[in-house]
Amino acid sequence: MERSFSKEVQSLRLGDGEIFHGEGILAVTKALLQSGVSYVGGYQGAPISHLLDVLCDAEDIMSELGVHLETCTGEASAAAMLGASIAYPLRGAVTWKSIVGTNVAADALSNLTSSGVTGGAMIIIGEDYGEGASIIQERSHAFAMKSTMWLLDPKPDLPTIVNMVEKGFELSEASRTPVMMELRIRTCHVHGSFVAKDNRSGEYSGNNKIKEPKFDYGKLAHPPSTFAQEKDKVETRLSNARKFIVDNGLNEVIDGRLEDVGLILQGGVFNTAQRAMSMLGLGEAFGDADIPRLVLNVVHPLVPAEIESFCAGKKAVLVVEEGNPEFIEHQINTILRKADINTVIHGKDCLPLAGEYRTEVLLDGFVKFLDAAQPALLEAPDMGNTAARILDARAEGAALIGGGLPPRPPSFCTGCPERPVFSALKVLDAEMGATHISADIGCHAMATLPPFNMGNTILGYGMGLASSASVAPNFDQRVISIMGDGGFWHNGLNTGVASTLFNKDDSILVVMKNGYSSATGWQYLPSSARDRHGDNPDMSVENAIKGLGVKWMRTVSTYDVAKMIKTLRTARTTAEKGLKVIIAEGECMLARQRRERPEAARKLAAGKRVVRTRFGIDDEVCTGDRACIRLSGCPSLTLKPNPDPLRDDPVTHVNNDCVGCGVCGEVAHAAVLCPSFYRARVIANPNWIDRRLHALRRRVIAWLMGEEVAAQEPVGEKAAA
Amino acid sequence: MTDATPQPVTILIAALGGEGGGVLTNWVVTALESHGLIAQSTSIPGVAQRTGATTYYIETFPTPLAEMGVDRPVLSLYPSAGDIDLMVASELVEAGRAVQNGYVTPDRTTLIASTHRHYAIGERSGMADGRFESGPVLDAAGRRAKTAHLADYMALARESGTTLNAIMLGVIAGSGVLPAPEDAFAAAIRDTGIAIESNLRGFAIGLEQARLGAMADLPAPDAKRFRGTPASAVEARARADFPEALQDTLIEAVRRLVEFQSPDYAALYLDRLAPVHETGDLILTKEVARHLALWMSYQDVIRVAQLKISPDRRRRVLAEIRAGDDDPVVVTEFFKPGIDELCSILPSILARPILALSHGRRWRDRAYLGLHVKSTTINGFLRIWLLAKLRFWRPHSHGYREIQHNIDSWLGVILHAAETDAALALEIALCAQLVKGYGDTNRRGMAALNTIRTRIIDPVLGETMSSAHAADAVANARTAALSDPTGQLLNDTLNAIATARPQAARSQAAV
Repeated sequence: MERSFSKEVQSLRLGDGEIFHGEGILAVTKALLQSGVSYVGGYQGAPISHLLDVLCDAEDIMSELGVHLETCTGEASAAAMLGASIAYPLRGAVTWKSIVGTNVAADALSNLTSSGVTGGAMIIIGEDYGEGASIIQERSHAFAMKSTMWLLDPKPDLPTIVNMVEKGFELSEASRTPVMMELRIRTCHVHGSFVAKDNRSGEYSGNNKIKEPKFDYGKLAHPPSTFAQEKDKVETRLSNARKFIVDNGLNEVIDGRLEDVGLILQGGVFNTAQRAMSMLGLGEAFGDADIPRLVLNVVHPLVPAEIESFCAGKKAVLVVEEGNPEFIEHQINTILRKADINTVIHGKDCLPLAGEYRTEVLLDGFVKFLDAAQPALLEAPDMGNTAARILDARAEGAALIGGGLPPRPPSFCTGCPERPVFSALKVLDAEMGATHISADIGCHAMATLPPFNMGNTILGYGMGLASSASVAPNFDQRVISIMGDGGFWHNGLNTGVASTLFNKDDSILVVMKNGYSSATGWQYLPSSARDRHGDNPDMSVENAIKGLGVKWMRTVSTYDVAKMIKTLRTARTTAEKGLKVIIAEGECMLARQRRERPEAARKLAAGKRVVRTRFGIDDEVCTGDRACIRLSGCPSLTLKPNPDPLRDDPVTHVNNDCVGCGVCGEVAHAAVLCPSFYRARVIANPNWIDRRLHALRRRVIAWLMGEEVAAQEPVGEKAAA
Repeated sequence: MTDATPQPVTILIAALGGEGGGVLTNWVVTALESHGLIAQSTSIPGVAQRTGATTYYIETFPTPLAEMGVDRPVLSLYPSAGDIDLMVASELVEAGRAVQNGYVTPDRTTLIASTHRHYAIGERSGMADGRFESGPVLDAAGRRAKTAHLADYMALARESGTTLNAIMLGVIAGSGVLPAPEDAFAAAIRDTGIAIESNLRGFAIGLEQARLGAMADLPAPDAKRFRGTPASAVEARARADFPEALQDTLIEAVRRLVEFQSPDYAALYLDRLAPVHETGDLILTKEVARHLALWMSYQDVIRVAQLKISPDRRRRVLAEIRAGDDDPVVVTEFFKPGIDELCSILPSILARPILALSHGRRWRDRAYLGLHVKSTTINGFLRIWLLAKLRFWRPHSHGYREIQHNIDSWLGVILHAAETDAALALEIALCAQLVKGYGDTNRRGMAALNTIRTRIIDPVLGETMSSAHAADAVANARTAALSDPTGQLLNDTLNAIATARPQAARSQAAV
């Protein structure tokens, strides 16, 4: 895993009254243990990848409590785990990245929510929305509404988050309904503190197993039970949930001086709203503000009585609801209409329809709202100017810079095994013309960014090949689909490989086999060399593909650019019809470096022979055309000032981040670029053979060079005129 | 609500993914918490963790927790424009981005930034020089910040064998913006328990830097490497016949051409330059002098072999890979000459038919001799050494004749243009920049030069095309050729020029 939490997980053992310091996801884990869960699971993906990492690192602590951990192969399997809570009084929690993970889990979720639960069931949703998000921008809120699940959106401080996890399980049990808790990106990574409680075991768990199976047809998601379940959802579970929310004060009303107006806001945007009001002179540092607020830590279901009593007597209320459509705003309008309360509801008329609600956005929206609502006691004549000054800070800074700062998109890491595959594809494009490439989710999606700009569609995780099914028969050239080993196990084996074979489609699939779910932080996959316990799972991508009946399959080391080009050329031109699979094999370089570097350092310290490889460019031979960078884009392949007094343009340069993977040299060689690349192997702690051989070589070469060495003075350096 | 109570202190750290901005963030949080303060940090790693631009955000509060009672301040997870007390950037353009986003304001922001450059992909992939100019960013940073600590902390880290993060932490502690003492930050390094000694060394350097309150100078001009070997008679002639302003270029050129071929060849260089000098246009002469020398020392396999075995090159490689003179090092060279490169060193009588045959059968793009040669082994060195020794044969080779012909033709056009249009002559001279690289790249560059010549230069000089703005047309075409390796942009530009030109001619006729 990318990040080890082995030290931090010790804080999961804290007991009553002790102070916990740490990250949001670690706090959630602690809250799960304080709630007495019997099972946890999930599928990695930002921003909750670390939650899964924490669970793995905490497996010892959890097993003492009898908690089972399942690292699932996809969100569908994670959602299905919650089925344990239908018939049995088992509390459990699963986690994934949303919206995409929720989409994948949808089938199991619908069945789960129809049946309803006995033990508390919770889904921790990493809401990958706004700046830093890596996926399509949609709301998870719709799933909560259509499947009748409850959605928690707590204020982003650790005490509230922990409390809402604990209360969430009680709410789930009180209303026999699964609960989703959404945590935004910044909240998942927030560092803070809270007062801990003791952990506790579930009623039943690995330590106290269930003895009898329970049969209840009424709890099966199967007709005719489903008809009764639909009624039960809206008639019983919903009202029980509303009662629990009110009885336990899960939503908060905070009074303010300007009594004729108010804000109804999602808990998750509370801190941002507080800061925006402080900046306008309407709030202070400890959470007080002039505008009264109804803070929804539970955003679904709404409690009509709460909305009515908050709005009654106010002339205008602003709903601060991030994302679209504005489900909460719609519901509030309906609630007030039915209660004949004529408070004007503002929302998306003052705030943007789409996008993240950052401080500047709310600041601007509050000014618009107060301007429209004109609260009687408002005394902030300077408010508009304050907002303008803050928003102008941007314009003034940008004007000074003069625009045009080079963007810095993410890219393949130094030494990444996936880069050379796209280099090979690009070299081949120059020879054969470009063909359609169905891209996929994973690190390889970086190929869609400069300098490769490759990939014509992205349809979802593991969907690369499936999305080619209708392109291939309509495209002049044979099309190529990309899939990582992560996407392959997530669903590509079924939706892509099996479906293509079943339909006898003529297509090329490149499987990037780097051994991990790398983009999310190197979680193990079924085909990883080892699993989280250190055992070899012995589930190979190749065997799975062969097992389905693929005839044309080649495994190529990604660093062998020439062979990769040749294999791709064959796949594109062979007369053989059907699915052609190329397994592009190369271990994730970050993971490999993390393993090999300490090993090399140990050997070096112990005086053992270590060979260090890196690449370089002769600055006198390089003419600065940069074709090498356009074909590789390696971060360690950069520029340096041209030392040649006759040239101005910078030369290409390999910096010290180079890990010696050799792709730059291989690509330059395969694409016939230039002879400026060299590979240097330095032997540290050489043995006597190394030393003697080196001395001999140096002597002979010095003798051959004799005259030149004597004649040539060292080259001098001076600043350019 | 007017608020006279203490306000949160806000810290935004801009970094590149994979640089370890999280480590710096954790140190700051640990320092604040250990001093009894509340600290909240957050980040948006997302996909940016793979070398993209990213940020970390920290808030703290000046009142110690012990004096706070049960209430806690509400800390924001978002940085806001105009609301940042301490802006830290690990690189110059990231500092620029912070200024652009309004995170650096004169009323309150202390800016700490390392002024080194980590080039973005757009800057790195241009065919000429795509580097973003540092000056405006430094200037803007200095003007927007209340206090600025700008220095090349990365160079300091490299020199002292420590990390950028450790130095930055030192500057943060020394800047006095945060409500914790310097010791608390040093303690945070010790608390992490990793590379304590070197990180504390970096921290001390940072503290010192903060005291200096460094404001960076503009980057120094690039260091240039001049050849040291004197070449007697020809050099004396260069000194005698050409003005002082050209001497740096000419001496370097003459020495390089003696090394490349012979004193006679260097003399030919001066012969060729003399008529250009006689035009009296010093700017033109300087550009021609530079490009002529580069073109005349063209990089055929013999020249590349010569460069690969030069003793200076060995010293450079060892420095580059941080190896000592006695460390056993094996250097492998990647050669892949094609038919063009091989024919270039054959006599024309052989080269011409081979080239014609291979052109017809499209061998030129396919037939190569791929060689991985270890230049540090006796066998490998000998092969390259023998290749370099072919220098005596070069004047009889096909490539030599072709190139001398191309050079003379280029010079002829420049001199022709110089009679009437100095600006045009200069632009034509600068077109030599197009001919660089090897193999296909070189062919493409030469083809671009020829296209510009046949479609603009020749028609203008032959007076079949209007001469108005001819220099601009050549400059635009050259820029287009250098910004798009496929040649499409050059084509579009030439077409646009061609459609605009006849109109220009007609309107002139009408007058």
